[in-house]
Amino acid sequence: MRITVILRRVLDPAGIVAHRRLRRLFINREEYILQPADRCALEVALRIKDAGDAEVVVVSGQPEPSDDTLRRGLAMGADRAIYLCGESFDDADDAVVTSVLKTVIGQLGGADLVLAGATTLDTGQGQLGIRLAEALGWPQIVGVRSVEAKNGRLRAVCQDEEQFVLVESDLPAVVTVCPEAVKPRYADGVRLINVYRGQGEMAESLETWDVGDMMSADELVPLLESRGRDFPPERTLGERVEGTPDEVAQTIADALRQRLRG
Amino acid sequence: MDFTFSPEHEALRRMIREFAENEVAPIAAEIDREGRVPFEVLHQMAEMGLLGVCFPQEYGGMGAGEAGYCILMEELGRICTSTATNVGAHIGIGAMTIYLDGNEEQKRKYLTPLARGEKFAAFLLTESDAGSDAAAIRTRAVRDGDHWVINGTKTFNTNGSFADIATVMAVTDPTLGARGGITAFIVETDTPGFEVGRHEDKMGIRGSSTAELVFEDMRVPHENVLGKVGEGFVAFMKSLDMGRLTLGAAGLGGAQAALDWSVQWARTREQFGVPLAQKQSVQWMIADMATEIEALRSLVYRVAWMVDTGQPFTQVAAMCKLYGSEVASRAIDRALQIHGGLGYSRDYPIERAFRDARIAEIFEGTNEIQRIVIASRIFREHGVRISP
Amino acid sequence: MDASFLDLMMAQQEESFEEAEGGGGVWVVADVEGGQIAPVTLEAVGAARTLAESLGAYVYGVLLGHEVTSLADSLYQAGADGVRVGDHPDLDSSVLESRLAVLADLFAEEQPEIILFGANATGAALAPRLAQRMGGGLIEHVTAFSLEESSRAVEAGFPVYGGDYFEIRACPEARPQFLTIEPGAFAKPFLDEYRKGDPTVLDVEPAEPATRVLGPAEGFEAPRVPLSEASVVVAGGRQVGDFALVRRLADRLGAHVAGDRGAWDAGVIDSDQIVDVRGTTVSPDVYVAVGIRGDTFHNAAMESAGFVVAIHPDRDASIFDVADLCVEARPDMVLPAILESLR
Repeated sequence: MRITVILRRVLDPAGIVAHRRLRRLFINREEYILQPADRCALEVALRIKDAGDAEVVVVSGQPEPSDDTLRRGLAMGADRAIYLCGESFDDADDAVVTSVLKTVIGQLGGADLVLAGATTLDTGQGQLGIRLAEALGWPQIVGVRSVEAKNGRLRAVCQDEEQFVLVESDLPAVVTVCPEAVKPRYADGVRLINVYRGQGEMAESLETWDVGDMMSADELVPLLESRGRDFPPERTLGERVEGTPDEVAQTIADALRQRLRG
Repeated sequence: MDFTFSPEHEALRRMIREFAENEVAPIAAEIDREGRVPFEVLHQMAEMGLLGVCFPQEYGGMGAGEAGYCILMEELGRICTSTATNVGAHIGIGAMTIYLDGNEEQKRKYLTPLARGEKFAAFLLTESDAGSDAAAIRTRAVRDGDHWVINGTKTFNTNGSFADIATVMAVTDPTLGARGGITAFIVETDTPGFEVGRHEDKMGIRGSSTAELVFEDMRVPHENVLGKVGEGFVAFMKSLDMGRLTLGAAGLGGAQAALDWSVQWARTREQFGVPLAQKQSVQWMIADMATEIEALRSLVYRVAWMVDTGQPFTQVAAMCKLYGSEVASRAIDRALQIHGGLGYSRDYPIERAFRDARIAEIFEGTNEIQRIVIASRIFREHGVRISP
Repeated sequence: MDASFLDLMMAQQEESFEEAEGGGGVWVVADVEGGQIAPVTLEAVGAARTLAESLGAYVYGVLLGHEVTSLADSLYQAGADGVRVGDHPDLDSSVLESRLAVLADLFAEEQPEIILFGANATGAALAPRLAQRMGGGLIEHVTAFSLEESSRAVEAGFPVYGGDYFEIRACPEARPQFLTIEPGAFAKPFLDEYRKGDPTVLDVEPAEPATRVLGPAEGFEAPRVPLSEASVVVAGGRQVGDFALVRRLADRLGAHVAGDRGAWDAGVIDSDQIVDVRGTTVSPDVYVAVGIRGDTFHNAAMESAGFVVAIHPDRDASIFDVADLCVEARPDMVLPAILESLR
């Protein structure tokens, strides 16, 4: 069985300060972490591999300057990594990445299961996995907590309002994984050293594919454009809520409801 | 000069930091309070290959070198000195002695399971009459056919109470002293004649085991002699040299933790209408801490590089231990002062870190011995011999 | 006041209101929650009206489900100029493929400029698939927008890192533009009960579902979220009086229960629930401090909370220095009313 996992990285929020008054973003420590949901997706894939016979291939889910993200995936236990690069890929948005991933999966000779994170830590966008499901014409299961896959079929646990339900699908399928779904494993030390040094049995595991060789420039035009940033207003602390107990209660309840929706 | 860490070392540090924060930090206070060794954490580290971080992959290790080992000790030292001590005794002196002086067979038989963390190691040197004066040990090993019979008592030993494999220093010829009279042995602790004695009730590093170990007619096969008969002292000194570097690394981690806590508290705590961070007295304490830490970091990793590139390192490793232990002590002392009453509370980690830091100036060769080692190297270059 | 005049005016409005024709426009895909049009849908219709006004376009709603036709009224009342209804047992929310098929056919014909979904589970699953099928750009979890007149493109802002700041993106060329609207971000529009319309019924050809829900996941337990990672915390202090009120509020909000050291001393919480630098440090999106005076050690352990509500009888309590909303009252005087309002 071949499982393809889409891996992306994100700036560690602990190193960033969004200054409301100055309306500026300060990156005090530029460190990257794997997107937590993508990391869970890889863990889910590795658990399926532990339970049976599967090959786990990790692929870049975004344009990036280096292959470090994929090395992290290999260190965790992936068998093979495809690092996508190329000038034409540098501005890719989710629509372009989808198009590239579809081509990559084709060139790999197909896959039985594609796993991706259900959302991103920074931008909160969950569209990549689902776009890919549509592009491949495969069934999708969105926001799962756990997955079991064998004999051409998969079963996943998803949250449906207040309860957890079991959803079944035939393979091939695309599944997106929640960020807190599972506790991802730590990398194996020996594997980690070998992946980064490109030695031992991990020597050939990282491949670099140039997107420009696979697709033409007009297939790689992004649909979205960045139009800048905005900052929330400064917090005003110490605002007293006045009125009768019922009025006060209503104000508080409204404020809480506002904050907790979505 | 390239002062950057290699990508594999950066990746290793990231992994160990996450592990230390998620798995070790939550139990650090508990193991101190209960005085227990965190075996669950040690087993996890074994599975990740961390207990053989510096040993070559052919012996079951990770192959990350001394730099990798320093990173491990620094990241553990930042979170829990007890855990760092357990690991340091296992890798840095226990297994290391076999790596440095063992023959091929001994490495395959003993080093491999230790590097994989399948078994634990200890390094048995100190006795009640032989601390700094290591050559004054009295544990005796007498040849009997193709075995040696060991009798004696080792004190203040880390890991000895649960180690599977230990490297022991014993006197084989009382007339010869350090040069020719002391031999190193590899012993399997389940051999009859090995007893675990009293456990020490310590001020700090209470999450590590310090115990007395008694040898009573313990029979060890001749093939377990490490190196040559009579050359044990030299073997042990080599291990201790290596261990000193990584002790400096643990001190670096501890000092960094003290600095990080102090900065956070100085930001938050307000007195006289402003945060402590606005007070020069606090700013200077922080600046001094940070400067020493920076200097220590450069020292530790440069020495790690020297070891990994085969350069002589005895003197500079002694400097790492000396400076590392003192920087850590100074930093945690200043951190305690900055935190005031809160730092004195057992519900806050500073109090534990303070107790834990003190031992570093004493064990693994007291700082006085380190100073003698450093001075003696300096004067030797000028033809002057110093005796301790 | 002569109400009959008002009725006449409204009736005139009723009559003059024509069902708008198709082509272009701002469309809202409606959700049904608890047998009603979901609040986020109404908010989306309000947002759609704003966009439509600037674009000089019409607002349409699409309502898919089973036995939902009567709910179309709310869409008109919220501001939709036209509504399409697909009523079929297979259009139940968990079956994606049928909804997708209906919407794809409808939109292929109508060629909307902009399509809005609610940013909920349905929107998350449906919008990207439809956007990919139609070659449109999608921006999710939109909390604010403006219109770039020249390109008729929506410049949509969405929260980054949970709201530390907002990114703004636009889809300048590809059409339709897809947006999922964050619940609670836009005001619920005024529901004009005199605004009525006649929904167009769509032909529904149910599609084969590609996934099957087998039933509840027996024995599945979601991993416990520790207090240090909780996103909502309700903490009570020694002066709370009846701590059960604190627990009820936590339950209502889906929050973790915590307290200060005083609460632990009083025996109402466990030692792993103490919010204090000597206990657990929390950084939730919402923190409600009930009857907590707030000393340095407590406040330092919750200072990174996103939004803080504090209730305490003493006007000089230090908790008020770190709270966004401050209620100077005894907790037992206000909590029951808050619980009632949250119902």
